[in-house]
Amino acid sequence: MPLHRGHHEQAQVALVLFSVGPYRAALEARHVLAMTGHPTALRTANAQTLLYDEDDHNSPPDRWLTLSDAQAASGNSTWQLGVSGDITLQQLPANTLYPLPKLLLSRRFSTALCGLTFDQQQLVLLLDARKLSPPKH
Amino acid sequence: MTTEKPNDGEANDRPFATQTLDEALAANGDAEAVVDVDEPTQQLVLFQLNGQRFALPGSAVSEILSSDQPVYYVPGLPASTEGVLHLRGKIESVISLHRLIGLPAPEGSNQGMILLVSAAGMTSGVRIEQLDDVSEVTQSMLQAPPETLSGTLRPYVSALLQIDEREALALLDPEALFDAYQQGLG
Repeated sequence: MPLHRGHHEQAQVALVLFSVGPYRAALEARHVLAMTGHPTALRTANAQTLLYDEDDHNSPPDRWLTLSDAQAASGNSTWQLGVSGDITLQQLPANTLYPLPKLLLSRRFSTALCGLTFDQQQLVLLLDARKLSPPKH
Repeated sequence: MTTEKPNDGEANDRPFATQTLDEALAANGDAEAVVDVDEPTQQLVLFQLNGQRFALPGSAVSEILSSDQPVYYVPGLPASTEGVLHLRGKIESVISLHRLIGLPAPEGSNQGMILLVSAAGMTSGVRIEQLDDVSEVTQSMLQAPPETLSGTLRPYVSALLQIDEREALALLDPEALFDAYQQGLG
């Protein structure tokens, strides 16, 4: 059943917010299966290396978010994304989540960067968990 | 065939000065050229990048934003992307045209106004260093870009506007700029 327009206006999206180097980023909470203080999965990746190529701000992650590997052949495969900073679960109004401007879509380092929002006047990078995967070795 | 002489008595006493029809019409016309009010005009936004003068069609520029408009840096994008701005509930990109049109990148922090430009179904901020004018020009004042125009600039110039004998400014094609940017240039 289609949602009434009024529901859209009040809709919220559950997001897990974290830091990637000096930047804030977020994943939709339904894609985050768990969080650990150290890597426990066979496959891991630092979010910085997946999202941008800036050595200046390279810092080791101190939290690991367990995600489904959307690009794995087996649907049950998981991996861990290394992040840092305060990690919070927040419900943000859907109408404050903006898609990445069209002009930038073809120029982004990672196709996982799908949108932008603001949290306490700081820019937050919205990431599509389905487009993130650990580098293949 | 008889020649009719003017009826004016004074004129009859003077010798006639011979004049061609062209000369007579030219002499009776206005001394200064006038703009044909029926000629189509185009609004241009005139600005500077690296001290060079450029223009964009006014029809493509929806807004001119002041230099204190906050621009948020987004990692993982090329250096020619300054970031994004948050404008009345929308997020718009802000790009620099320098690299695309073959100009050296400006030194120091980003200063100058931002033109909000719409083309090819997209809208983006374009950083300029100085806004010179917003003016209306007739189509006849715009000339086709010459063959001698630099190869880097040529794909993005739709016309030249001659300002004076020594200087002309390039009218940029926003659609060509955005297309090239999307293709990874600049």
